[in-house]
Amino acid sequence: MVSRMGRRTNLAPYLFLLPAVVLMLVFVYIPVIESFRFSLFKWNSFSPEWTWVGLGNYRKLLPDPIFWQSIGNNIWYAIISVAIQVFLALMLAALLESHAVGRRLSTFFRTSLFLPAVLAITIVGVTWQMLYRPDTGLINQVLHVVGLDSWTRAWLGEERTAIFSVIAVSQWQSLGYLMVLLIVAIRAVPRELYEAARIDGAGIWRQFRDVTVPGVRETTLVLVIITVVGAFKVFDVVWVMTAGGPNHASEVLGTFLYRTAFRDDEMGYASAIATMLFFITFALAAVQLWAGRSGKDA
Amino acid sequence: MANVKPAASATWSLPRVRSHPEAASPLMRWSVIVLFGVFTVVSLYPMIWLLTNSFKTDFDLFEASWALPEVWHWENYRRAWDFGIARYLINSVLVTTVSVSLTVTVSLMAAYALSRFRFRGQTAFLFFILGGLMLAPEVSLLPLFRILQQLGIYNTYLAMILPYVAFGIPFVTFLMRSYIMGLPRELEEAAYIDGAGPLGVLRNVIVPLSRPIIASAALIEAMRVWNEFMFALTFISSEDLKTLPIGIMSFVSALQTEWTVVMAALVLSALPMIVLFLATQRQYIEGLTAGAIKG
Repeated sequence: MVSRMGRRTNLAPYLFLLPAVVLMLVFVYIPVIESFRFSLFKWNSFSPEWTWVGLGNYRKLLPDPIFWQSIGNNIWYAIISVAIQVFLALMLAALLESHAVGRRLSTFFRTSLFLPAVLAITIVGVTWQMLYRPDTGLINQVLHVVGLDSWTRAWLGEERTAIFSVIAVSQWQSLGYLMVLLIVAIRAVPRELYEAARIDGAGIWRQFRDVTVPGVRETTLVLVIITVVGAFKVFDVVWVMTAGGPNHASEVLGTFLYRTAFRDDEMGYASAIATMLFFITFALAAVQLWAGRSGKDA
Repeated sequence: MANVKPAASATWSLPRVRSHPEAASPLMRWSVIVLFGVFTVVSLYPMIWLLTNSFKTDFDLFEASWALPEVWHWENYRRAWDFGIARYLINSVLVTTVSVSLTVTVSLMAAYALSRFRFRGQTAFLFFILGGLMLAPEVSLLPLFRILQQLGIYNTYLAMILPYVAFGIPFVTFLMRSYIMGLPRELEEAAYIDGAGPLGVLRNVIVPLSRPIIASAALIEAMRVWNEFMFALTFISSEDLKTLPIGIMSFVSALQTEWTVVMAALVLSALPMIVLFLATQRQYIEGLTAGAIKG
């Protein structure tokens, strides 16, 4: 069949691929390459002439404290997101799948925890801005009522708490989403393994440790990497809630790039940030491929 | 999972609680209920808070924002609607529908080529398309901005649609390719013997068989495009063309002090996706997991 198809339709696969390839070339790959080239010049959106600066933008970027502040915040984003969205989510998924509660109740819990994930980021961001507001926000109002007045603060307005307040919102939005992915992974673990463990007298915790965790190892690994890469790509929630402020305290690479390009109009410098972001996410994705492969060998 | 014995699948369909007697111990059961009760409250309460406060006056909001409104101010919704939310909604529906249809069509063709033909450069094409999964959209942002200007489509619907499609292709093609590879080939063989060409086979055999994955992929893409923020923020400048996520930002800055009207606008913006999700939950989650587990 292959040979017949091969002879009769040798052009067909290329024609079928053509639209996808053209679109990706023009709107994905050429821009990435352009970004490298852009980073070697000093230019802005109005300048008719570009000044060649070679690696000048990178020499300026590496000692820039905002760059390191951003990377530090991206790293916090990654650490907290992995802890909550992967590891806490895994424990919650295992608990829901342990059938400690009936199916209807567990479906209700699952749907409730998932629901924030379908909301647009601006809806989430603005809602939480209101919840965090010093005067009318629910969080300070509750702290006030329970007598913890000293804990109240301008959550998004103080340098110490801004980034963590934003990170918390991301956890709120994505915990249920990853929990659902992990539930499906747990369902793919053969039932017999659980039965065998129970016959050996394993309780809930040992079943989790000895059956569930090894059974979902590969999925967990993939989710860790997706979450870490996602933490370095984050832009929208930070931009909506704090725009990187106050005083760059909650800046991440995405907001730093956007501000540099479209507020400060330093296009070459912004392209250098984009290139650094490319190498970081590319390296993390390469780790994913490598880890995925060695996971299958094991 | 394919060769599950009949006996095993019979157990599977029993109420699962019964097959795990020790899991049903009351202490365990109630601990899980309390734990998930807390998570459910944390998860849902901000949305409920938004909903109840959207019916208040700003003055009530300052008092005790957890209380139910004493008078339900439906006029907040009237005002939010009059402010022009309909325009953003229409833009979002339009951009989402066109982007998703294009992404699905283009990706289905690509997935068909990659899974059912053998040709020179096949692996290279596969890597070319799936490689897009590894790229952060931020990296392309600035050059895209210029390319769209040079193509003369900056600040048009196409400035959103074309990048959305291009960035959607890798994931959707990936989903569809693994699905098509799992389909039996007999029907295609029969169609070829009956004299059908590759396009006929795609239309009359592959598309009908791929309905479930088309639906899942379309839903996932619809949610992604509907909620997309960065491209819409950067490639659109006219108020008339803004989609909901960006329109909300205009709202917030225009209605700055009228918090409860902003809240009504947020509720109106959130409703379509919540309804769509609750209606299509199963399909959506199946599609998601098909992608994530194999990824």
